[in-house]
Amino acid sequence: MFLSKIFFILLALAAAIGATFAVIAPRPFERRMGALEGQRLDRAQYAAEQMFKVDAHKWIDHVGKLGRDAIIAESLDAASRGSGEYTVIHRTIQDRFRTLIPDLASGGIDSIVALDTKGRVIARVGENEKEYGDYIGGAEIISDALRGYLSDDVWGVNGRLQRLAAAPVLSKNRDRIVGAVYVSAETGPALVERLKRNLDVDVALLLRGKVIASSRGPGEMDGLPELISRHTKEIETAKRTQPITITVGKRDLIVVAAPFPGQAGEQQAYYALIGEHPANSGIAALFANATSDDLKWGQFPWLSLAGGMFAAIFVGLFLQRLEVESPIGRLRRELQKLASGDVHKVQDSSYGGKVGGLARDINAAIERFTHAPTQRSEVAGKDLNAILGPSGGSTFDLPASDSAFAGGTSPAFSPPPPPAFAPPPPPSFSAPPLPTFSPPPAPSFAAPQPFSAASLGFGSSNNSSASTVVDDGPTMLTAGGGDPGLPLPGTTKPSAWGAPPPPYEPPPPEKGTDHDATRVVPYDADEEEEAHFRHIFDDFLAKKRDCGESTVGLTRDKFLQKLRDNKASLVAKHGCRTVRFSVYVKDGKAALKATPIRE
Amino acid sequence: MKTLRNPVSRVSSLLVAAAISLAHVAAAHAGTVRGTVKMPDASRSTRLYHGYWRLENGNVPVQTAGGAKAETVVVLENVKGAHAPSARTITIELGGLDARPRLLITGPGSVIELKNTGKVRHELSTPDKPTAMQLETLSPGQTRRQRFDALGEYVIRDSEYPHIMICVLVVGTTYFSAVDDKGSFSIANVPDSTATLKVWARGKWVAEQQLDTATLGKEELTIKVVSQRDREKAEQEAKAAE
Repeated sequence: MFLSKIFFILLALAAAIGATFAVIAPRPFERRMGALEGQRLDRAQYAAEQMFKVDAHKWIDHVGKLGRDAIIAESLDAASRGSGEYTVIHRTIQDRFRTLIPDLASGGIDSIVALDTKGRVIARVGENEKEYGDYIGGAEIISDALRGYLSDDVWGVNGRLQRLAAAPVLSKNRDRIVGAVYVSAETGPALVERLKRNLDVDVALLLRGKVIASSRGPGEMDGLPELISRHTKEIETAKRTQPITITVGKRDLIVVAAPFPGQAGEQQAYYALIGEHPANSGIAALFANATSDDLKWGQFPWLSLAGGMFAAIFVGLFLQRLEVESPIGRLRRELQKLASGDVHKVQDSSYGGKVGGLARDINAAIERFTHAPTQRSEVAGKDLNAILGPSGGSTFDLPASDSAFAGGTSPAFSPPPPPAFAPPPPPSFSAPPLPTFSPPPAPSFAAPQPFSAASLGFGSSNNSSASTVVDDGPTMLTAGGGDPGLPLPGTTKPSAWGAPPPPYEPPPPEKGTDHDATRVVPYDADEEEEAHFRHIFDDFLAKKRDCGESTVGLTRDKFLQKLRDNKASLVAKHGCRTVRFSVYVKDGKAALKATPIRE
Repeated sequence: MKTLRNPVSRVSSLLVAAAISLAHVAAAHAGTVRGTVKMPDASRSTRLYHGYWRLENGNVPVQTAGGAKAETVVVLENVKGAHAPSARTITIELGGLDARPRLLITGPGSVIELKNTGKVRHELSTPDKPTAMQLETLSPGQTRRQRFDALGEYVIRDSEYPHIMICVLVVGTTYFSAVDDKGSFSIANVPDSTATLKVWARGKWVAEQQLDTATLGKEELTIKVVSQRDREKAEQEAKAAE
């Protein structure tokens, strides 16, 4: 599981990093594209400025040619001198203008005006051509022309922008100035269209805080005057703005604005070049702007993507098989063997991680249901008294203070009344007539197997190796029966039971030890019953020592025989398959518990 | 025979003589401040606003009269014993896309009459001091009167025709003088005193310096006006040097 977890964590990290890149990666490009668009607008603004400059020069050339026309010169000379009929001069100049420039509109001309040396309008063609006689010599471009300059200017009058070019009109001898001519060119939608066509950018013209012409839709540029007004300082110094962003609806536009020259510049007359901001870098914009071409083989790394994906799937499946499926399969097979009885427990050590824990839990469950008392067994957990009934208390009346193994003043091993504890008399062993479990006569007693106390944890004995007497404690019988003089079988005393053990002195009862853990001795198989009994004996002996009880007189053979007898009686009574014994501590003393096993 | 004179007439004669002598003494302590204002080259143009091109015709010499010097005045402020000019009413005609005169210097309480004699409407105001004169349309034939009570400079602009700029200087001194075509000025009868000489040209104070008129004698001042561009450049160089 560990590797799988690590893999999934790494996979998640890789996915997160990939998603982060997917979101972040377009942003530098977006900024770069924005900067490039700004640079494009910069260049467009420079081009527009040059175009205006060339236009101005072109208009100056045009108006200079008009000023050199002989008819116009003579007419203005006459007007300036006050000679000649005024209206005739007016018509003469008008006709001459129309002759020289038949179609004003095609040339982008609004009007052509001729003035005398006092700045009085002698004739107009185009706008307000019927009006004449007014003085406009105060206008800088006119006064300049009357001084002898050819110049241009931009006016913002009546909400309109006009580009003007003026030139002096010299006398026929070219020795004096006899008047001036100026041309005003249309500066509105036509100029916007022309700029857009030439520069490939959208254009807006502003005058006194209003958009007077724009190549974009109506209303789109309403926020532009306010935006530009925030950059007036920058415009004053740099004569233009840096690329600035304006949001129109859901779209971002980049704007570069520059002022018109001349006095219109004082009237917040600007031309703004507008470019589209590159697409946003959001996920939605990413998908919205992707085309089928982006997913073509040559454009998209399908092989790398597929390779990475399959590699991840392979690694994930491999790790899952390695750490999940394979161990679980093995565990399942082992459980099937366990169910069929081929094995008795799961080899939990061969599993790691969670499966290993599961195997250990299974083993623990097996242990519990097999060896420990359970609720399913109606007799589980009951001691022998409960199992055998009050009248059939065995010699293993363990929990009671008068238990045979409990020690104390009462007989530690009080034999049950014959009806309750009726072990089948072995052929070689006659039941003791005495209630105190007197040893059988030696001849009829089948000699127990030599008992090695040392091998069973009793330590070395001072007696002979064949002795089964435990020399450092009371025997089962003497301790329980209160008859220290009664020898037990297997002792080295002349009697069959050996030397009389010292009087049994039970240790002071301990309080609060009722709940000491029960020590469960594994029960292997029927054929190993003897080993189980021996193990119980060893365990019992060790527990008594642990509890500070005397083990004098406690012999293995007799103990085992008792266990056999008790097992037989319990099996007969309860109809169970076998009986499991276990050693536990009760009231500070070692005690035995018998558990019938039905299955 | 001695002629007996009337004592009253004798006293009168003495008083007159004393007055004449006092006047002579006072005249001896007053002087004339003379000098020349040297404007930057850029101000030689008669135009406030330029287009892309301004070319000479190549046949007839251009007339360079006017320019900033026509709208330049030198004012001596803080002169001991100086008093404000009397209030008066001055008429400015707006016609032919021009204003005449373009520069006024007067005392507090003066009234300016702006008379539109042309055929176009004007929208006049003082953008730098909006409370002094708010934006109003002056149609052809109309006259607008505007009173200026407080000392200070007022620049009246026409938003329709920005080249029309009328400067009204309301000063507290009678010691001022316009400059001629060469930039020369002369302010007579200036008492011996410390004073502040200021130069007004084309809508702003362009120079200022302290004077002690008692030590001037016949010395002619030369006041060099630095263009704004040169001033900014000098400031930048000073900052860089620091």
